[in-house]
Amino acid sequence: MARSRTTLSDEQRYALEAHLAGTLKRVTPPLEVVSRLRERIHFPQSGEIVSRFRDWRRMFLVLGGVMSGLVVLITIGRALYYLVGRKQV
Amino acid sequence: MPDIEFNEEDVLTRASQGDRDAFGLLYERYIDRIFNYVYYRTGNLHDAEDLTARVFQRAMNHIQSYTDRGVPFSAWLYRIAHNLVANWHRDRSRRQEIPISDVPVLPSKGDHPEKNLVRSQEQDALLRFIRRLPAERQNLLILKFVENMSNAEIGAIMGRSEGAVKSLYHRTLLALRDQLGDQKINLDSD
Repeated sequence: MARSRTTLSDEQRYALEAHLAGTLKRVTPPLEVVSRLRERIHFPQSGEIVSRFRDWRRMFLVLGGVMSGLVVLITIGRALYYLVGRKQV
Repeated sequence: MPDIEFNEEDVLTRASQGDRDAFGLLYERYIDRIFNYVYYRTGNLHDAEDLTARVFQRAMNHIQSYTDRGVPFSAWLYRIAHNLVANWHRDRSRRQEIPISDVPVLPSKGDHPEKNLVRSQEQDALLRFIRRLPAERQNLLILKFVENMSNAEIGAIMGRSEGAVKSLYHRTLLALRDQLGDQKINLDSD
């Protein structure tokens, strides 16, 4: 293979790129490594995260319902206080 | 990747507001890429695991400071990884180096498992050469071949123009050709 200091022939480039592509391949981290990493950073399992995201809308509705209920109870309580409680005082 | 529509912008906003679940989704999305980068930069499975954990811990602690100015989140993560790997090399320079050929070979995606058990002598030699290259050239090769990134994407991560990346790549190939040629490794056949 003829060599020049600053130029690469197409053949050389293709051969080098083929070697690099064959050597630098994406590896799969072992599952136990991914799992240990998740525990180390205190992340929940991916499935758990997904289920939480799926339940988001329902959680929002439940929370909204509870808050609305509380507001209604407080309003009734205040109304009773003004109607009954104040007369007794 | 979990079966959920992934809107990175939305997830990033939530993660920067301290939502750990949102950061968990980012972790799931980028763990493989960061692990690969660190693995090839260190050539060491245990340190790759440790450094990958530190990359995500640092990212989680500083996600509020990440502002999207046209730089992808992946570029920000790679920069964190690059800095941690650089520190690791600095700390390790006083200690004995473990050759990458001594490191267990991890399975590559898309290959038959038996093919991954043995790395050829040429591949070992090439990995050794790559690990002797300056850090920025190693980064370039890893991002180009392991991550299949374009020069523009690599430029965004390395803070260089596309032209500068192209030029660096050319010089890196020249250096590799000369080194491999000196070792009588055949470049004419694959």
